[in-house]
Amino acid sequence: MKNTFSLALLQLSFCFTFFALTHISALELHGHGASLIETTCQRTPFYNLCVSTLRSDPRSSGADVAGLARIGADKLKAKATATLRQITALLKVTKDPNLTTALRECVDYYNAIVKYDIPEAVEAVVKGDPKFGVEGATDAANEADACGRGFKNQPRFPIYDSNKVVHDLSAVVASIVQLLL
Amino acid sequence: MVDTRPFLPVSSSDGSNPSEPLANGRKPMKALLSIFFGLLAVGLLAALLTSNNGSDFVTENEHDPLASSTTTTKSEPLRPLSRGPAAGVSEKSNRLFADENTVAFPWNNSMLSWQRTAFHFQPERNWMNDPNGPLFYKGWYHFFYQYNPHAPVWGDIVWGHAVSKDLIHWLHLPLAMVADHTYDKSGVWTGSATFLPDGKIVMLYTGSNAQAVQVQNLAYPADHSDPLLINWIKYSGNPVLVPPPGILSKDFRDPTTAWLTSEGKWRFAIGSKVNKTGVALVYDTKDFINYEKLDGFLRAVDGTGMWECVDFFPVSKTGENGLDTSVNTPDVKHVMKVSLDDDRHDYYTVGTYHEKNVTFVPDDLTIDVGIGLRYDYGVYYAAKTFYDQNKNRRVLWGWIGESDSEAADLQKGWASVQSIPRTVLLDKKTGTHLLQWPVQEIDSLRLNSYEFNHVSIQAGSVVPLEVGPATQLDIIAEFKIEKEALEKATGSNVTFSCSSSGGAKERGALGPFGLLVLADDSLSEQTPVYFYIAKGSDGNLKTFFCNDQSRSSVASDVNKQIYGSMVPVLKGENLSLRVLVDHSIIESFAHGGRTVITSRVYPTRAIYGAAKLFLFNNATEAGVSASLKIWQMNSAFIRPYPNLDNKSR
Repeated sequence: MKNTFSLALLQLSFCFTFFALTHISALELHGHGASLIETTCQRTPFYNLCVSTLRSDPRSSGADVAGLARIGADKLKAKATATLRQITALLKVTKDPNLTTALRECVDYYNAIVKYDIPEAVEAVVKGDPKFGVEGATDAANEADACGRGFKNQPRFPIYDSNKVVHDLSAVVASIVQLLL
Repeated sequence: MVDTRPFLPVSSSDGSNPSEPLANGRKPMKALLSIFFGLLAVGLLAALLTSNNGSDFVTENEHDPLASSTTTTKSEPLRPLSRGPAAGVSEKSNRLFADENTVAFPWNNSMLSWQRTAFHFQPERNWMNDPNGPLFYKGWYHFFYQYNPHAPVWGDIVWGHAVSKDLIHWLHLPLAMVADHTYDKSGVWTGSATFLPDGKIVMLYTGSNAQAVQVQNLAYPADHSDPLLINWIKYSGNPVLVPPPGILSKDFRDPTTAWLTSEGKWRFAIGSKVNKTGVALVYDTKDFINYEKLDGFLRAVDGTGMWECVDFFPVSKTGENGLDTSVNTPDVKHVMKVSLDDDRHDYYTVGTYHEKNVTFVPDDLTIDVGIGLRYDYGVYYAAKTFYDQNKNRRVLWGWIGESDSEAADLQKGWASVQSIPRTVLLDKKTGTHLLQWPVQEIDSLRLNSYEFNHVSIQAGSVVPLEVGPATQLDIIAEFKIEKEALEKATGSNVTFSCSSSGGAKERGALGPFGLLVLADDSLSEQTPVYFYIAKGSDGNLKTFFCNDQSRSSVASDVNKQIYGSMVPVLKGENLSLRVLVDHSIIESFAHGGRTVITSRVYPTRAIYGAAKLFLFNNATEAGVSASLKIWQMNSAFIRPYPNLDNKSR
C-alpha cells in the first residue's frame, strides 16, 4: 500500500513535470507565429490591442508582416463600419442639437474612413506600395481623432470607446504597414 | 522470499532510480514526497513563466477585443497622428497636428476653391501622383501621370494624359492606359518613354498584375501619325519582365528611359531593394521584348531602402544645353537620382558612368545615391526628366502632394499638383550641384510688372510691397547684406538647420531676411521665404535658404514644418532668389536654382484680395537692401482639349 502510494506520487510528479515541459515546447513550436505577432506589435503604439486583435483572426498564425497588416486592416474596416452604424442609430434617437451636430460630423469622418482610407490602405498593402498604406491608415486615425474632438465641450460622448478603438487600431495598422517599406 | 523491490512499469520510469532498497518505510516516503514537491515546484514555475504570453488576450477583454462597453465617461484625449510615418517612428514627414488640443479647421468652399492653382498642372478632380513618360513629339509636349479616376486618394491607378505646345498651357486628353489586362489589372503604374532611332516611341511601364506581382510591360502609340498620341497599344506578349531571382515581387517598379550602349543595345535601370539596401538593376535589350539582366547593380547603397522612380541621365560639364539620354562622351558627367520610399524625398548624385562594367561611381561618396543632395527641400517626389529634342534641354517634372488634411482633400475633391517643369543643368561653378530653373516659357504668363530698387530694410523691420493681388506672382529678387555686419558678427560653432530652427521669428545676427508671401495685412498668416547667414567660429559664412510654414495658416490641420537647406554662395555672388506664388503652391529657387524649396500652404485669411507681399529683415545686427522685379501671373487656362471626338472622361 505504501509502495503504491509512493509510486503514484512519483508518477504524478513526473506527469506534472512532463506536462509543464511539453507546454513550454509546444509554445516553442508555435513560437514563430506567436513571436512574429509579438515582435510586430512591439513596434506599434498599442501593443495589447495589436496582439489581441491579430490573434483573434485564425489567419494570423501563419501570416507574414504583410498578412498581419492585411488582417489589421480588415479588422479595422469591420470596427469602423460597426461604429458608423452605431452613430447613425444614435442620430435617429438623439434630441440634443449639440450632440446631433457632433454625431453628423462623425458620420462624414467615418464615411471617409470606410470609403477611402481603409480601401486605400488595403490596396497599398496588397499591391506593394506601402507608403500609401501608411497614409491611408494614418488618415483614418486622424478622422477618428477629428470625430472625437467634436465632443470636446459636450457632457456626453456616447461613442467614445468605439471611436478610440478605431483610432488606436488605425495607428496600429499604420505602424505595421510602415514595416513593409 | 518475496522480492520486495518494486517493479516499475516501463512508461513511468524516466531516469529515476527505483532500485533503492526499501529498508524502512518512512525514509523513501519522505524522499518521494520531497521529489514530488520539488517537481511540483518546477512544474508550477514552468507554468508561471509561460502564462504571460498567452493570457493578455483573455485578461484584456473578457469578450471580443474590439468590443466596447457602453460607458459614457470621457477619458484622456486621443493622440493625433502625423500624416507621414506613424506615431512611434521617426517623424520626418508631414507633421499634421500641433498638439491634441487643436480643432479641425472649419474649411469653407471659398477657402478650399481658392487653393486650386492657376498655372500648375493638375487634373480637373481626384488624385494624381507620379509623372510618367514625358516627351516631345510632332509639335506637342506630352505629359502622362498616375491618376485615380474615382477618389482624391491614391488607388485604382491608371495613366492620365495631357498635351501642351509650351509646357505651360495644358489640354486634358482621354486616359492613355487603363487596367484592362491581367498584367496591369491591379494598377497601371509608373513608366518612361524611349525614342527609337526611327523616331518611334516605346513606353516601358510597371503593371501590378492580377496577383499583385510587379511586372514590366511594353506599350506604344496605336497610330504614330496622330500627334496627340491618344490611343496606345499594349504588346500582346506582356509582361516582358518579371521580378528576377533575389528580388521580391513587390520591389520591382518604375523602369527608366533607355540609353544606347556602344554595342548598339538599349540599356535601362529599374529600382529595387535587397533587405534595406537600395539598388538599381540593369537590363540590356535589342527589341524591348527580350531582355538580358546584367550582373550586379548600377549602384547599391545600404540603409536607403526601396529605390523608386530611378532616373539616370548625362549632363554637360561645359555646355548650356541638355543632352540626349544616350550621350556618353568625356565632357559629360552622369546624374543618378532616386526617390526614397522610406522618407518621401528625391535625392541626386553626380558621378561617372562606366559602361563596360555597368557601374555608376559618385564623385563624392559622402553624398552617395540616396544620402546626398535633394532636388527640392520641400514637398517634391517621384521626379522624372526627359530630353526635349525640340529645344535641346533636359526637363524635370516632380509630383507635389498635399500638406493639408485628407478630410480637406475629400471636401475639395482633388489632391496633388505637378511642379512647373524645370530645366536641369550641372552647376559649372560648384560642380557638385544641379541648377533647376522654371522653363523659360513660363515668362509668357507674365502680365504687368513692378520694380523696386535698393529697398532698404533695417534690422527688425517689415516693408510692404504694393503689387496688387498677391496670389499669382513671379518674383525675382536680389539681396545685399551690410558688409560691416558680416565682418563684425561673432561666430559660433552652433550648427544651424532650417528644420530645427525657430523659423523666421528666430533672430540671428545675420538673418533671417527675405520675403513674406501669402501674408495678410496683420501678418496673422504669413509664409516667409528667406535667407539665414550663420557665421562659424572660424569666421566662415554659411548661407541657408528656408521656407517657414509655421504661421502660414491659422488652421492647425496643415503642415507647419520649416523646410530648407544650405545654399552654396560663391565669392562675389549676391543673394538671389526667384519665387513663383500660385495659390496653395510656392516654388522658390535660390541662386539660379542651386537650392530649391516647394511648399504647399493653406491660408484662411491671406487669400484672394487679402493676400499681400512683404519684405522682412529679422536680423539683429545687419541692415539689408533688396532689389526686386515682380510680375502678376496670368492663368494657364488648363482645360480639356476642345472638340475631341472620343472624349472618354
